[in-house]
Amino acid sequence: MSAGGAEAGPDGRSEKIAGGRPRAEKLARDARGATIGTSAQRVGGFERVTGSQRFVADLRLDEVLHVKLVHLECARARIGHVDTTEAARVPGVRMVVTAAELPQPVARFGPGYRDRPLLATGETKYHGEPVAAVVADTVDAASEAVRLVHVEHEQLPAVLTIAAARDERSPLVREPGLRAADDPHRDTNTLTEWRFGWGDVPAAHADHVVEQRYTAASTTHFAIEPHGFLAAPDGAGIAVWSSIQHPYVLQRLIADTLELPLARVRVFAPDPGGGFGGKQHAKYEPLLAVLAMRIGRPLRLVLTLEETFQAVRSPTFEIGIRSGFMRDGTIAFQDIEIDGLLGAYADIGHRVISKSSYLACGPYRVPDARIHVRALLSHTPPATALRGFGSPQMAWAFESQMDEAARQLGFDRLEIRVRNLAHRGEEIVRGAGDTPADGDWAESVRRAADWIGWGDPLPDGHGRGIAVGIKSSATTGASYAIVRLLHDGSAIVLAGTSDMGQGARTVLAQIAGQELGVPIERVSVVMGDTSAAPYDMQTSASRSTVFMGTAVLNACREIRGKLRAMASDTYGVEEDRVVIADGTIHLPDREIDVAELMADALGPMHGEVIGTGSRRGDHVPEHPLGGHAAFYEFSCTASEVAVDRETGEVELLRHVTVSDVGKALNPAHVAMQDEGAAIMGLGQTLMEQLIFDETTGRIQNLGALDYRIPTTKDVPLEMASLVVENEDGPGPYGAKGTGESGLLSTAPAVASAVHDAAGVVIRDLPLTPERIWRALQERDG
Amino acid sequence: MAAETMAVTLVVNGRARALEVAVHRTLLDVLRDELGLTGSKECCAEGECGACTVLVDGDGINACLVLAVEADGSSVTTIEGLGVDGRLSRLQDAFLAAGGVQCGFCIPGMVMSAEALLARQARATPAEIREALSGNLCRCGGYNQICAAVAAACSGEGHEAEER
Amino acid sequence: MFAYARPKGLSETFALLDAEPEARLLAGGTDLLVGVRKGNVISPLLIDLKRVAELASGISEVDGALRIGANTVLTEVINDRRVQETYPALVAAARVVGSIQIRNRATLVGNLCNASPAADTAPPLLVFGAILELAGPDGRRRVPFADFVTGPGRTLLESGELVTAVELPLPADPVGSAFQRMTRRRGVDLATVNLACAVTSGGVTRFAFGAVGPRAIVVADGTGMLADSKTDPVDVDALIRRMTAEATPISNVRASREYRQAMLLVLSRRALESARERLAEARRGG
Repeated sequence: MSAGGAEAGPDGRSEKIAGGRPRAEKLARDARGATIGTSAQRVGGFERVTGSQRFVADLRLDEVLHVKLVHLECARARIGHVDTTEAARVPGVRMVVTAAELPQPVARFGPGYRDRPLLATGETKYHGEPVAAVVADTVDAASEAVRLVHVEHEQLPAVLTIAAARDERSPLVREPGLRAADDPHRDTNTLTEWRFGWGDVPAAHADHVVEQRYTAASTTHFAIEPHGFLAAPDGAGIAVWSSIQHPYVLQRLIADTLELPLARVRVFAPDPGGGFGGKQHAKYEPLLAVLAMRIGRPLRLVLTLEETFQAVRSPTFEIGIRSGFMRDGTIAFQDIEIDGLLGAYADIGHRVISKSSYLACGPYRVPDARIHVRALLSHTPPATALRGFGSPQMAWAFESQMDEAARQLGFDRLEIRVRNLAHRGEEIVRGAGDTPADGDWAESVRRAADWIGWGDPLPDGHGRGIAVGIKSSATTGASYAIVRLLHDGSAIVLAGTSDMGQGARTVLAQIAGQELGVPIERVSVVMGDTSAAPYDMQTSASRSTVFMGTAVLNACREIRGKLRAMASDTYGVEEDRVVIADGTIHLPDREIDVAELMADALGPMHGEVIGTGSRRGDHVPEHPLGGHAAFYEFSCTASEVAVDRETGEVELLRHVTVSDVGKALNPAHVAMQDEGAAIMGLGQTLMEQLIFDETTGRIQNLGALDYRIPTTKDVPLEMASLVVENEDGPGPYGAKGTGESGLLSTAPAVASAVHDAAGVVIRDLPLTPERIWRALQERDG
Repeated sequence: MAAETMAVTLVVNGRARALEVAVHRTLLDVLRDELGLTGSKECCAEGECGACTVLVDGDGINACLVLAVEADGSSVTTIEGLGVDGRLSRLQDAFLAAGGVQCGFCIPGMVMSAEALLARQARATPAEIREALSGNLCRCGGYNQICAAVAAACSGEGHEAEER
Repeated sequence: MFAYARPKGLSETFALLDAEPEARLLAGGTDLLVGVRKGNVISPLLIDLKRVAELASGISEVDGALRIGANTVLTEVINDRRVQETYPALVAAARVVGSIQIRNRATLVGNLCNASPAADTAPPLLVFGAILELAGPDGRRRVPFADFVTGPGRTLLESGELVTAVELPLPADPVGSAFQRMTRRRGVDLATVNLACAVTSGGVTRFAFGAVGPRAIVVADGTGMLADSKTDPVDVDALIRRMTAEATPISNVRASREYRQAMLLVLSRRALESARERLAEARRGG
């Protein structure tokens, strides 16, 4: 099984630490700053291991007041009289606010639809929606006051499932008055629907048709840092702190909400303690900003873990696929029906559904396709972006379907995939002039198959699976960067990207270091302050290496141009005879370093050289997604498991992900992100689901006790995260983005391995022991 | 004898601190708010995630489930107490070198659990390391690197990360 | 909010309880403080027992039994050589209660008094015939642990009474024991089913089942059939089924009734095999 003298430890597992650093990269200490492709030590790592890193909940503002939110214990209720008198009398309480005390009509916000009110108005729409906010001197006083706010309410029937959302008799989640007059769905719980596809599915011929239905439960992000927010009046404007991934989007929202110019709204975005998409868009910042301006004091709201679960989750999916195959195993057509269940407010959930559905056929050659997608509303917490942005759920369906076809047609599961996988340059979405396959995807699959030993004999009760996944990266974007080369030759990078653990600070420092020939220890990165760093549209879709990385690269090139001009002026040399490489200015007759040039050029008054750069991907209105994917994230997962047929428990023996990354600018960071994604994927595959009470809509497993995520003991015995580097990406040095690829294909690979081991097919996530046990019971009668 | 506030003495990172605390405040609250030691983090507040792990009299415990008054007279070590004069401890160095740090939010708790383990036993098997850290959740998923870091610190390696 | 008291002795403790009957006893705090935070436990006074002299932590041999003082934390129980040798099922159970951080604070006695139907330490204590020492203002008494828990979160402690120690009778002849449980993940978790099995040299087999009813239950087979490794597996199964029939598992977010019932059987078989092996080993002197 595992190599090299493994013995069983006290818990029966191999005495081998799986993984670790896949390539023993020594720390890059190249004085010339060439760090691209090396595992430079994390910028900000020192602060994190010493506990000095300040996350938003660690910040202290003078005179701050504390906010706590009031919510009901059911999903949907008509709000009657809210009695705040007892709460207001708690010593230290400054203000108790309900929707009635806010400017009318109550402001609504949201990245796609302006649907979410600052506080629930008239009716609560999900378990956890705030009905009132308490502002007090201490958290204790605020908490006590929350308990004393009496909300008269009448619980109402709630729409909680896809079936209920599709049922015409169900109550409407969204008032028709809030919907566009010409919205064809305004009297339904369908928020919107899409039809993608190409060719002619009804006329397509297939030798064999496979039809199945797959479901994926809603999961939550469970970043270890709960959301936190601060807001403080700042002169004529406001300062807002948030664990937000998109500071500039938030800045615009706050500016609009308070009717302030952007220049008077300062958003501080401390590095989040994990985001995974759950911190992309505003939750309570607008409310906090309004209240801070009203009371004239800084306000602080840090959510509990339970409140965080009530704020962010992934959509629930039900996917029906009817696939046509030819006898030779090639795909003839795909006919796909997708229902995605959003929460009560759209957040960015509708985009999760549309963007992922667009690639519901996967990375394959598909002659004819028809994809019908519905985004449905429900009385549940808003569904939002969650790492993978719906693509893992798509892969769950189309890859499980490939396995089904392989079984029915008698094909090897690896072979049928290789046969259908698109080659570089081939269209995976046809006829739209869309981004074609942009990598040697078969290489990823080959390497995964090799690592897992596909085809090697396995002991009884063991099984193997292999699956692929694909995701569109950013389809639009706008990233701007400023790089300042200081007069001693050190540099500062100003970039609005959010570093939530993926290592953005480090990669940007590496790029600047490489381009300017500055050792990484002499590069500072300023992020998380909209007043300091220029505009960055967002940190999501694994885009930052490509978008912000290019912006930084371009800023450095501008600096090099300015240095050449400076050298030309100062030394009387023609510009094209000045070469800048590795931090050295090569003049015809000698070499000098940057600091020397600056001293000669700027004299004792000093100065600096500033470069700016940007990268934009502009909106393409005719495109269903608003733009072409800048690149695809593609990965292959292979898994080997053992199944205990008596209990249904799955033991994860070996697990590999292979990601097509173009160029790993920092190999260790890429490996860590891939491995982390794989472990998150394993959690979603085997143990994670939000459970809603069927009647009240309450989340039953709220909190760490009953919502289980993987621990050190749930990790596969042996794990590897491999990369394919063909330098074929649109980013610096041929890089693509990564960070989500590791979990795109986890679920179908593991389910495939479970079938291989135990002979049962599961089509619903998560694959809990009980679910597997039931399938075994049903099969064995 | 029943009281709403109490005077307590805690030796925190080697320094005796005399405080008057409200009896319902947890050790975590007091460390973060009264003493400004924000390295220990709050996440689940029910002893399930380990983000608040500190050492009390050498044992790793969840500071969110200990009242400050219960810890009266105890010696408390937090992440801020590791390392000397701005230099990282061997364990902290190993965490950085092994690439076990991503967003960093779980790291103080992880390091303290590892610290408790290494104080108990100079050498630990991979299974013992996994067990010792099983009460610390990491969502960025760096478990393998974190365990490798602890293993490297066990075997006395500082700046070099071991290939495994 | 609550007040806090830190008595140094039992009589002081009783006086506090007498003055405030709604007071709650605080030992490890890993259950109580969670309850306080969530608002499930509302009490005007928490009485910290950790400095009460008569409740001191420690494990000692007293009158043919191993006595575990009330303030003994689970880590100490797990690390005790005598507990490891004589009551391995208890060690196995204690090792899975929470995490190391929890076990460094949680006391065995506290775990029992919390009386969760899924308490991992309950089944082993039942099969070992544990006895609890109680003390109150009116004096002391001893009760079998089998009688102690009366329902979910409820014990037979009278007002003003508390547990001062757990006693495990030291068996004259070797006993083989095992602990099994089912969880939703391999890491730290609450049990969906847990159980202990003990087989004595005299051929008596006891099973105790947890998380399958309002309180853990213990059943015994005195026929010697289960203790005999040569008994036909079909008969073993039939006998185990009869013994598990008293269990009344429910369906909840952790597991369904059917699964719990099925796992009871599967894990009982495994625990029995393990217990028999350990007994054979002990009798061989290994």
